[in-house]
Amino acid sequence: MKYDFAVIGAGPAGYIAAKKAASAGKKVLLVEKKKLGGVCLNEGCVPSKTLLQAAKTYRHAKHGSIFGVEVEGIRFDFPKAHQHKNNVMNKMRDGIAGLMKKYKVDVVEGEAKLLPNFQIEIEGETHETTDILLCTGSSPAIPPIPGVDLEHVVDSTGILDRESLPNHLVVVGGGVIGCEFACMYASVGVQVTVLEAMPEICPNLDPEVSASLREGLAKKGVNFNLGAKVQSISADKVSYADDSGSNELEADLVLVATGRRPNTKNLGLEELGLDIDDRGGVRVDNRGATNIPGLWAAGDVTGQAWLAHAASRMAEVVVNNITGRKDHMRYDSMPAVVYTSPEVAVVGLTKEEAEARGIKVKVGRIPMAINARYIAENPDETGFCKVILEADTRKLLGVHMVGGACSEMIFGATAMLETELREEEIEEIVFPHPTTSEIIKDVFMAVR
Amino acid sequence: MAEPIIMPRQGQSVESCILTEWKVNVGDQVAEGDVLAVIETDKASFDLESTAAGTVLALFWEADDDVPVLANVAVVGNDGEDVEEFRPDNGSATSAPEPVAAEVPSSAPQVTEAPASASSESAVAPFSGSTIATGGVSAGVSPRARKLALRHGLDPETLEGTGPNGRVIERDVEAVISGRPRLSASAISKARDGLEAPIRGKGLAGMALASDMREPGAIEGAKVEPVKGIRKLVAERMIQSLQTSAQLTLNTHFELTAAQAYRKERVEAGKSKISINDLIAYAQIQALGAHPEMNAHFLGNRFAVFEKVHLGIAVDSPRGLMVPVVKEASELSLEALSAEIKKLAIACREGTIQPDDLSGGSCTLTNLGMLGVSTFTPVLNVPEVAILGVGGIELKPKRLESGEIEYAEFLPLSLTIDHQAVDGAPAARFLQTLVSQLEENPGQPLSITNE
Repeated sequence: MKYDFAVIGAGPAGYIAAKKAASAGKKVLLVEKKKLGGVCLNEGCVPSKTLLQAAKTYRHAKHGSIFGVEVEGIRFDFPKAHQHKNNVMNKMRDGIAGLMKKYKVDVVEGEAKLLPNFQIEIEGETHETTDILLCTGSSPAIPPIPGVDLEHVVDSTGILDRESLPNHLVVVGGGVIGCEFACMYASVGVQVTVLEAMPEICPNLDPEVSASLREGLAKKGVNFNLGAKVQSISADKVSYADDSGSNELEADLVLVATGRRPNTKNLGLEELGLDIDDRGGVRVDNRGATNIPGLWAAGDVTGQAWLAHAASRMAEVVVNNITGRKDHMRYDSMPAVVYTSPEVAVVGLTKEEAEARGIKVKVGRIPMAINARYIAENPDETGFCKVILEADTRKLLGVHMVGGACSEMIFGATAMLETELREEEIEEIVFPHPTTSEIIKDVFMAVR
Repeated sequence: MAEPIIMPRQGQSVESCILTEWKVNVGDQVAEGDVLAVIETDKASFDLESTAAGTVLALFWEADDDVPVLANVAVVGNDGEDVEEFRPDNGSATSAPEPVAAEVPSSAPQVTEAPASASSESAVAPFSGSTIATGGVSAGVSPRARKLALRHGLDPETLEGTGPNGRVIERDVEAVISGRPRLSASAISKARDGLEAPIRGKGLAGMALASDMREPGAIEGAKVEPVKGIRKLVAERMIQSLQTSAQLTLNTHFELTAAQAYRKERVEAGKSKISINDLIAYAQIQALGAHPEMNAHFLGNRFAVFEKVHLGIAVDSPRGLMVPVVKEASELSLEALSAEIKKLAIACREGTIQPDDLSGGSCTLTNLGMLGVSTFTPVLNVPEVAILGVGGIELKPKRLESGEIEYAEFLPLSLTIDHQAVDGAPAARFLQTLVSQLEENPGQPLSITNE
C-alpha cells in the first residue's frame, strides 16, 4: 500500500499527527504495536491520574470534618479504583479508534521496521510512504541495582497493575513519577518513603517549588530521604547509602522511577543512519526533522520534554511543516505539571534559568494562603505562586505554582508567555472572583 | 545665552554639506568641541563640533538634509531659552513634536454631514471622524497614515500605533497592508522604539515576538548598517569609475637595488629618511612630466592635460579610503614631497584633513605592498586617466652581465589607464621611463639624468 504519511506509534504524538494529517487530505497509516493511546493513555498520564483522583476522594472523605462532613466506615476499595481506571482507559481508547475511523486513517497493529526508500515492514507486509513520523515513545529506564528484577520491584507501568495495597512502599527516585505514586499511596494510608539520590526532589523545577512540594507531600505522610543512593534490594528490604552511611528500609513494594529512555531499538533506525544523540534520543531540529529528509520524529523518542502535551505539539509542528504551514517548537512556553496534592504547575523560565541566559529579572512570590477561594477549599494546604519578569521591560518570563489544582490554570500563564505579555497588559486582564487563578494577578503586587 | 551652531564652510568650492547623522538629541548636554553631527561633502565626511556649551535646544535639520554652508543647524544654550530667532527659513525643526491637535484631518468628511450626502463618492465614510467617537485618550493618527489607510479601506483608528505615545503612523498602516504578523505586547513596545517585525515571527501562528523585532532593513544572521559617510562616497566613486571608463592594467616591476642603495646613502650622509614609496612618487611625477598625456583628465568630449602634476596618494584611514592630493607636486623637491605626503596621510588618519586637500588630483599613486599584496589592479580615480599601483617586494633571479644568475629584490608596479584617453603603448612607454628612473637614478630629477 502507498501512503502519504506513515506514523509509527499511536501515543499522544502519533494519533494527533495521524488525525491532523488525514484531515489535511493526506493518506495516513498509523502503526501501533500495543494499544492505541500509547504510554500516556495506557501506562502513564491517564491511569495514574485516575488513581490519584481515587486517592484524593478518599482523603477528602476522611478529612471532611473541617467542612463539617462527618463520615464513618470509610474504606478504600483499590480493585474498584482500578476498575474505574480501566473504564476510563477503555473509553479513551474507543474514542481514539473512532477518531481514526472518522478521519479514514488506516490503523495497523504490529511492530514496524523501517526499510530503505521509505518502505515500512509490518508483520511481513511492506508499505510505502512519502513521509514518516517516528513517535515510538519511551520506556522506564531501570538502573542496574542488585535485586531490581525481584517480583515486588515494579516500574511505573507495573505498579498500575497492582490491585492490593502494600504495607510499605519505597519509591526509588523522587522525580515527577515517583512523587505522584508516593502521593497516591500515602493518601490511602500506605507508609511511603521516597529515596532520592539528589539533594532535592524534582531537581528540574524551581528550587522553591521542589521544596514546597516536598513539604506538602510530607504533610500527607510521605517520608523523604534525600541524597540517598540505593545499593541493593532484597525480598523485604531496600539498602541505601546517604551522608549517615549505609541504611536499610523495610519494603514489600518497591517502585523504581528513575527516568525513562527513548524507544529506538528494533526499528531499523541504525541501518538507515538515523542520527541518535548521546542520551539515546532521535536528534531533531525545532520542526521535528531528523537528519533524513522526510523522516520526522516527535515525543519521548526525541528525548526532549518527556511530556504528553509536548509530544502532541511536536506532532502538530511536524504535520504543519509537511502540509506547508511553517511552524516550530517553543519549549520556553511549555507548561509542566506534577499531579500530586498539592499540584505543581509551571511554565517558562525559572529565575536561575533566566539569569543563566544573562537576563536581569525581577521576582514576585506570594503564598496561596492569601487567596480566599484557596483557603476555603484547601484549609490544610500551603503553596505559593511565583513570577519571573524581565527587569527592564517587565515582560513575563515564567510562572511557578504549588497548591490546589493549579494545573487547571497554568494554561493562562502559557497564553501570557506565548503572547509576551508584560505586567502592564496582565494588569488589565479580568480574573473571575473568587477563583484561585486570581493568584496570578495578585502575585504582581509582590514583584520586587 | 543661546548660540546658534552653523554649518562650517568645508573648503572654497563647497556650497552645502549633507547632514549624515545627528549624534545628539534635543535636551542633551554638550561641551564645546563635542561632536553634534556627522556631515559630508562630495569628497569626505567630517564631524560637526559644537562651538558652544550647554543644552541642545533645537536641531533645525534632519538626517540626510542638504544644508547650505553658514546656515544655522542647531542651537545650544540654557534650558527654556527661545530659539526662534535662529531658525533657518527652510529648516524642518525637530525641537518640539507637532501638536496632536493638528492631526484632525481637514480632508476627512465632517461628522455633522447630513446622512443624505452618503450618496456622494465617499464610500469610505463609515469610520470617518471616529477619533471623537472612541472618546479615549488617543495619540491620534498621522495624516500620511490616515491617507494610506483610507486608500486601502482600513480604519486607521482601529490600528495599533507604534509612533510616539501609540500614535498611528504610516508604517503601522503599511504593516497591515503588507500582511506583517501580529505583534506580541512586548514586540509592540519594541516597535515603538523603531524596530520592525519580520514577515513571519517565531511566536504563536507566526506572531512577532520581541526577539524577532529588528532594525529596519535588518538581515538575519548579519549586522546591517546604513552605507553613509566616506563609504558611500567611495562606493559612488568606484562604480562611477568602472562604469564610465575603459580600464586597462599594465603590469611590470623594477629592481629595488638602486633605490635601497640610494636610501642607505642618504642615511649615511645624514639626510632625512625617504621611503621607497616617496621614491616611487617622485619618479612617477618625473615620468608624468615626460609623458604629459598620462597627467590628464578625460572629460568625454574634452581632454585636460595638466601643466603641473597634482599627485593623489591613496590613504587607508580609519574612516575608509581617502585620496589627499599633493598640489603642484612637480614643483617639490624629493624631501618636500616626502614631508607633504606624510603630513597629508597623518591628517587623513586623524580626521583633520581639509576638503580642499581631497580634490584636484591629476594622477594617483596607491600602494598595498606593505599589506602583503603582491600585485593588484588599481581602479581609476576618474576623470584621471592613470593610477599607479605598487605591490609587495619579491625576490627574483636576474642575469648578470657575466651570465651568472643572482637574486635581487623587485617591486611590482601595476598601471591602470583609461583606454578611452590613452593607448597601451604610450602607457607602456611611461612605465619604461618610470622603471628606468627607479632602477638607474632613484631620487633624481629626470632632466638631469637625460643629459
